[in-house]
Amino acid sequence: MAQVVLKNLMKTYGPVYAVKDVSLTVKDGEFVALVGPSGCGKTTTLNLVAGLIPITSGDIFIGERVVNDLDPKDRDIAMVFQNYALYPNKTVYKNLAFPLQMRRMASSEIDQKVREAARMLDIGHLLERRPRELSGGQQQRVALGRALVRDPAVFLMDEPLSNLDAKLRVQMRSEIKRFHQDFDATIIYVTHDQLEAVTMADKMAVMNGGLLQQYDTPAQVFANPVNLFVASFIGSPAMSLIPLEASTVDGRTVLTSAEGWTLKLTDENARKVQNATSKKVVLGARHSTIRLHDRQVDASVPAKVYTVEPTGDVTFVQVFLSGAIVNISLPPTVDTRPDQQVWLEFDQARIHLFDAETELALHV
Amino acid sequence: MSERIYARTPRRRQIDGWRWAGRFFLVFMLIYTAVPMVWMLLTSIKSGFAAMAFPPEWWPSEPTLASYEKLLDPQSSVGQDFLRFFWNSLIVSTLTTILAVLVAVPAAYAFSRFTFPGRQFLFFSVLLRNMFPAVIFLVPLFILMRFLGLVNTHGSLVLTYLTFGLPLAIWLLKGFYDNIPVQLEQAARIDGATRLQAFILIVMPLSVPGIIATAIYSFIGAWNEYIYAYTFLSKNEQLTLPVGIQRFFSENTTDFPGLMAASFMMSVPVVVLFLVLQRYFVRALTEGAVKH
Repeated sequence: MAQVVLKNLMKTYGPVYAVKDVSLTVKDGEFVALVGPSGCGKTTTLNLVAGLIPITSGDIFIGERVVNDLDPKDRDIAMVFQNYALYPNKTVYKNLAFPLQMRRMASSEIDQKVREAARMLDIGHLLERRPRELSGGQQQRVALGRALVRDPAVFLMDEPLSNLDAKLRVQMRSEIKRFHQDFDATIIYVTHDQLEAVTMADKMAVMNGGLLQQYDTPAQVFANPVNLFVASFIGSPAMSLIPLEASTVDGRTVLTSAEGWTLKLTDENARKVQNATSKKVVLGARHSTIRLHDRQVDASVPAKVYTVEPTGDVTFVQVFLSGAIVNISLPPTVDTRPDQQVWLEFDQARIHLFDAETELALHV
Repeated sequence: MSERIYARTPRRRQIDGWRWAGRFFLVFMLIYTAVPMVWMLLTSIKSGFAAMAFPPEWWPSEPTLASYEKLLDPQSSVGQDFLRFFWNSLIVSTLTTILAVLVAVPAAYAFSRFTFPGRQFLFFSVLLRNMFPAVIFLVPLFILMRFLGLVNTHGSLVLTYLTFGLPLAIWLLKGFYDNIPVQLEQAARIDGATRLQAFILIVMPLSVPGIIATAIYSFIGAWNEYIYAYTFLSKNEQLTLPVGIQRFFSENTTDFPGLMAASFMMSVPVVVLFLVLQRYFVRALTEGAVKH
C-alpha cells in the first residue's frame, strides 16, 4: 500500500477543462471518495491516476514515484469498473489469474493466490463459471477479487455499486468498507452518490466543473461546506438555501426577505454577514435544524406548507419560504397539511451563511 | 372474466393470420431459392441427351455420375482444366480473405478506439468505392494493372477484390469492436498487459465471430467474382472457376450436365464454409457476452 499525491493535475480536451488544477493527498491506507455530479471530472481524475488517459500537466505520485508517463501496468494499481469489466470468455478462475499471469508468476503460486482471494471473497464455488453465469453481486465480488489478488499499491474504484439493485448496493457497501478495514487498502473511489461517499470514505473530495471544491472528512464537509455547491450537493435531503438581503435595523444586523419579514441575527452571525462582499446573502439550513410552529413565536418567520412526505421514521415537509423550498424533518406524530400557514424557527448556531456573489461560505 | 376472453379472441385470430402469411412467404422463398439448386443437382446427374429432352425429365431415368467423374479425372483434359480453375479460385479467394482480415482487423480497431486527425474523413472515404457500381472501375483498373505489369497475374485479382471487400470488412468489424466495452482493455492494461497484449489476449478472442463473418464475406465475394477475372486474365491456365465454367458453353453444343456438375462443385466450398462456421454467426447474433 502506498500514498497517492496529485499536484496541480490538469486535463484539457481542446479548450475544455475536464480536470483543472486538482491537488490532493491520499494517505497510505486511506479511503477517499471522489464525489460530484456527472461531468464534474471525477472519473477523468481516476483515469488519470490509472494512466488510461495522458495528463495535460501536473504530477501524480504513487508512493515515492512520479508516474506521469508510466503505462497503467507499471503503476502498481488495481481497478474495479462500473460494469466490472470481467473478461467474458474466461472463467472466474482465469479472470483472477490473469493479472498474475501477466506478471509471469509461477502457476503454483498463481493457484495459491487465486484460491486464497476466492476464499476471502466467498466465491470459491464459482471458480469454474463464466462471468455471465453469475449474479450482479457475484460479478462484483469477482471484480474485487481480481483487484485484490495482486496486492497492489492502490485500489481505484469507478462507481462499482451503481449497477446493483438497491438492496445489494447497501450490502456491497458494507462489504467494500469491510474490505478496506481488513486490508488497510488505499482506495480512491469515484461515485456520484453522496450517501456512498459519506458512509464509506475516510475523506471525500467534492468536485464540480473539473475543480476540487472541498477535500475533508465527511463530517467536516457536512458540517462546514465551503461554498454553495458543496452545501447543496452533500446531505439528503439537500440543505435548504434561502436568498436574503442584509440590512441594519436599530443598530442590529438583520436578514430581510423580499416577502417582507426580517430575521434578527446573533452577534456571531452578524459578524459573518459583515464580511460579505455585498448585501446579498444566502441562508443555508439543514432539515433537522429548523423547527416548525403552527403559530408565530419569537424569531420565527412565516411560511406555507407545500408537500408532506411521510417516510415512516420521519416525515419530510417542504415549505415555501421567500421563493425557495425549505426541507424540514418532523416526527411522524406532528400533523401538517399542504397549504397550512406555519412559522419556522432557525437554530442560529447551526445555520450556514454564504456570500451570494462569491458563493463562498461566510466566516467570522 | 368471460368478457375479457371474448374481447381477446379476435385479436389472437389476427395474429394467426399474420403468422400464416409469414409462413406462406417463407415457404415461397424457400422454394424460390431451392428449386434452381435442386434442378442444378438433378441436371448434373443426367446424361447429355436426357438433359435436353422436352418435356423435361423431372427425375432422371438413368442417373449417372459421369459428369462428375469427367470433371474430377486428372487424366482427361476437361478434368485437368476444371481442377486447375478450382485451384486458381481457391488461391485467389484464400489470399484475398487472409489479406482482408489482416488489414481490416487493425484498421477497424483503430477506427473504433483511437481518435486521430482525419479519422472521420478516412472512415467515410473507405466507403467511397462502394458508392459506384463495380463495372465503372473496370477500365481504369485494367489500365492501372497493365501499368503495374499485373495483367494476367492472380495478384491483379487479389488487389481488386481487396478494394471491393475491405470497406465492408472494416465497417463490419468496427461494429464488433464498438460493442466490446473499452473497459475490458483498460482492465487488461491495468492488470499488466501492454496495449498490444490487451488487444490480442482480450479483444481478439471476443471478436472471433466478427472476424469469421468478415472472412466468409470476403471469401464468397472473391470466389464468385466474374467480370474482373474475365477481363484481367486471358491465359487458360490462370482462369478462375466462374470464368472457366463458361467454357462449357463455347463448344458447338452446350454440355449441360457438365456445366451443372461444375456449378454444383463450385458451390460446395461456400456451403461447407457456412455449415462449419454457422455457429459463430449464431453466437455473434445471440450471445450477450458483455453487460453494457
